[in-house]
Amino acid sequence: MADVHDRPVGAIVCAASPEALDRLVAPGHGARMLRVAPDETMAVVAPAFTDDVRRELEDRIAALDADALVLDVSDGWLGLALTGPDADHALSYLSALEPPVADGYVQGDVARVAAKVMREPDGLLLLVPAYWSEHVRARAIEDAGAKARRP
Amino acid sequence: MPSLRLDGRRLDCHDGDTIASAAFRAGVRTFSRSIKAHRRRGLYCGTGDCANCLVTVDGLPGERACVMPARDGMRVERETGWPSVDRDALAINDRLHRFMPVGFYYKVFARPRWLWPIAERVIRRATGTGTLPAVVAARHTRTRFVRVHTLVIGGGVAGLAAAATAAHDRSVVLATEAALGAEVTDPAARDTIARLAAEARAAGAELLEGHTAIGIYEGPSAALLGPDELVEVEAERVIVATGAIEAHGVFPGNDLPGVWLGRGAARMAAIHNVPIGTRAVVVANTGDGAELADALRTAGTDVTLVAGRVLEARGGRQVDSITVLTPEGRRAFACDALVLSLGWAPRDTLLRMTAEPEVVGAGDVVRPGCTLAEAEASGRAAATGTADEPREADPWPITEHDGYVCVCEDVSMHDLERAWDEGWTSSEILKRYTTATMGPCQGALCSRHLAEHARAKGAAPAARGRTTARPPVRGPRLGDLIGGVHEQVERRTALHERHVAAGARMDHSGVWLRPGTYGDVADEIRAARQRVSVMDVSTLGTFLVAGRDARTLLDHVFPIDVGAIAAGRARYLLALDEAGYVMDDGLLAALADGSYFLTSTSGGADRMEAWLRNWIDRLDLHVHLVNQTAQLGAINVAGPHARDLLATLSDDDLSREALPYPGHADITVAGVPCRAIAAGFVGELSFELHHPRGRSVELWDALLAAGAAWDIRPHGLDALDVLRLEKGHVYLAQDTMPDDHPAKLGLGWAVASTKKEFIGKRALERMDALPLERRLVGLRFDGPPQRGHPLALDGAIVGRITSCAVSEAANGPVGLGWLRAVGGEFPSVLRAGEVTATVSPTPFYDPDGERLRG
Repeated sequence: MADVHDRPVGAIVCAASPEALDRLVAPGHGARMLRVAPDETMAVVAPAFTDDVRRELEDRIAALDADALVLDVSDGWLGLALTGPDADHALSYLSALEPPVADGYVQGDVARVAAKVMREPDGLLLLVPAYWSEHVRARAIEDAGAKARRP
Repeated sequence: MPSLRLDGRRLDCHDGDTIASAAFRAGVRTFSRSIKAHRRRGLYCGTGDCANCLVTVDGLPGERACVMPARDGMRVERETGWPSVDRDALAINDRLHRFMPVGFYYKVFARPRWLWPIAERVIRRATGTGTLPAVVAARHTRTRFVRVHTLVIGGGVAGLAAAATAAHDRSVVLATEAALGAEVTDPAARDTIARLAAEARAAGAELLEGHTAIGIYEGPSAALLGPDELVEVEAERVIVATGAIEAHGVFPGNDLPGVWLGRGAARMAAIHNVPIGTRAVVVANTGDGAELADALRTAGTDVTLVAGRVLEARGGRQVDSITVLTPEGRRAFACDALVLSLGWAPRDTLLRMTAEPEVVGAGDVVRPGCTLAEAEASGRAAATGTADEPREADPWPITEHDGYVCVCEDVSMHDLERAWDEGWTSSEILKRYTTATMGPCQGALCSRHLAEHARAKGAAPAARGRTTARPPVRGPRLGDLIGGVHEQVERRTALHERHVAAGARMDHSGVWLRPGTYGDVADEIRAARQRVSVMDVSTLGTFLVAGRDARTLLDHVFPIDVGAIAAGRARYLLALDEAGYVMDDGLLAALADGSYFLTSTSGGADRMEAWLRNWIDRLDLHVHLVNQTAQLGAINVAGPHARDLLATLSDDDLSREALPYPGHADITVAGVPCRAIAAGFVGELSFELHHPRGRSVELWDALLAAGAAWDIRPHGLDALDVLRLEKGHVYLAQDTMPDDHPAKLGLGWAVASTKKEFIGKRALERMDALPLERRLVGLRFDGPPQRGHPLALDGAIVGRITSCAVSEAANGPVGLGWLRAVGGEFPSVLRAGEVTATVSPTPFYDPDGERLRG
């Protein structure tokens, strides 16, 4: 049995040339950088640091690509944590994706919607487009046998 | 004592009973009737391989009684026969067999044509296996996904040896249909299974008991159906160790109740302690004969063991005598049970579903009749990458001049001979003509006989192979196959709970769940036309298009002059494909920093994104496209007091000059940062407030609270449908067809034809040279019209109503509809059922657009 609960996240998109993103140094504040496309990376961070990370990214990428775009897209994502020793097993009821290794992430079909899955110290973090949050939360509880818990 | 009910009769259940063993102990001998001739069918394989014992359990048909555990309170019904299985009036068919040869209904009912539908109904009622219930309680089968190095299918000696060996250094899942060892009668085999199971578990293999592999697919991957889950396995290697069954013997009377395959008979006696008869003859050409005989004797049956070929079995309700050709000559035996051990038939359907080299066999399935030691060695070899090559069963199936080849479909040797003589001279064609191998057992018993028949008849090698094996091996329920796909995945806006709390009827609108109405559509319309109203339009596709080539992209793909849109202004646009057909529409707002904010229809967002990304790649442009649909909420504030309402909640300049139609501005409303776009879909002064989704609720609440001064109402899709129709605005997909170009829709004005190039331009130029044959027109009616109703001219259908409503603002019923040209002219007066439709210019309301400018 895994626990499922909302975990608010800050999400900042940085779109730039692939070469600039290759050279981009990750910002601080524990931001996790997800390279979602050759020309786009997404920083995932604790909500309290969203503005700091956005500013850092703007400064750093501007030096590499003057035409880059940095955008806070936190409102578009729900962080849904699957925690506990059975988190990986719970994911297998939602997705054919292989659970990511430490610090890694995978993206693809989770409960029949497009999502990203990150490894966290206490389990897995699903990043789900906000308009599907109720659906994925319900599937996690019903199909994965996860137990809903308030954050 | 636990009990079940079979056709209403109470039957005691002993420990470990299957439905079949409980029924057989109680004297039941006929378990079903054959599909065509309605011959009696009794227990035969006893291992779940044939279809003789299919029963309906608690209302669900197609359960295999010989392997399904009996449970207290079960309601079991035999499925075939009328009025009952034991007394079946349709058994007369067996006597009429010569009038109904194989393929007869292809010929007999071909002429006259009207006869077939009648014959089909009769045939369908007389045949079949069980009746699906009209209503069943929804059962949700979970789907689980597993990635593993080695998947082993089969929990016998070979399978367990493979799992135990592979699991030492690889991840392994083993799936076995029954509990490990539960169906094994040989003590030595049971001990070996227990030893290997312990070894496999200790090595870390995951053993899934009660999981049936129903198919192997490319990848390789496999579907396992468990008691409460569907497991989809992706494996780097699949080892099939599904064993073998005794070969099906074909001779006259081979389908009589009382004729058994060896393992099934042994299980009945040794596991369930039920004698299969008082006098049994075991005809064995394998080394298992003595063991079978001993097993049967433990339950008290008098057994005669002989070697040879069965020439004939005779009997009425069940077998009562047989003739066997032994080395000493023909011998007749009186008996009430005949047990066959004629050779081994590999249970290889799964193995034959794929030619992928990563799928290999082990044990009996590739070495039929192998010993325990050989099975273990075969399993271990398969696990280490040195699997045995499949070896054909030896001997080939034994067939006499008659008898049933396919017991599922009632296909006899005589039928095969006749079909061959008619010219169906390959195993695949024989299958299609006779339907042999196409029954519930999927050819498990008879596919080798079919191939052998073709071979014996001299068919070329390509025409005498085994027929194709396809999933599913077992008959799963549709609900099980559906797995997790049991619902509509719906998108919800951040205001969903607010709508529900307000009593809205929530409708599915494409991929979204949206308010249809809050209860009073007429008042919702009046609010928008006369006061002020709000609508949740968070479903609109929204995109930020940035980067130094943003304008180049948009200029290339959209038929509007993007350069002419000044910062702060917005423009309606159509999205055309290369053929000039309308794919979508939306608004394009030019931002001060040179980027653009683009909206699409609610249902078109995903396609719009894919389409733009495709063109970015094809044109090799430096463009950043961010789909903001999930990130942004949007509320449309509409009505003559829309500007007044916003003014109470904002300190920004909202004047006509600062926020003109069609234009936009970044403003703050009730403390929420918004991109306000002056839009006109509903035909009133209106502002789409695009804002961070996380703040939708506070903005909505603030608008409703402040709007109380104007008796504000939210409106839903029902009201929107009327509001936009009054303006003559089209709903893409509802009012349009896939091959509509702008001129057909009356939207030629939205195309900047003077532009040098845009997607679809050349196609439009070609189509402009052709006369319009069909176009969308506005319609006024003299009575209430119906959407979808044909439009007729002099009795001939020349069009169809796509949208309609009785409109207060337009002073009567209005609509949109398709119209075809008649003799080069578009008619102006038509009939739509009982009402007259008159073609009318649009908009029906505020034709000069004064109101939407505020």
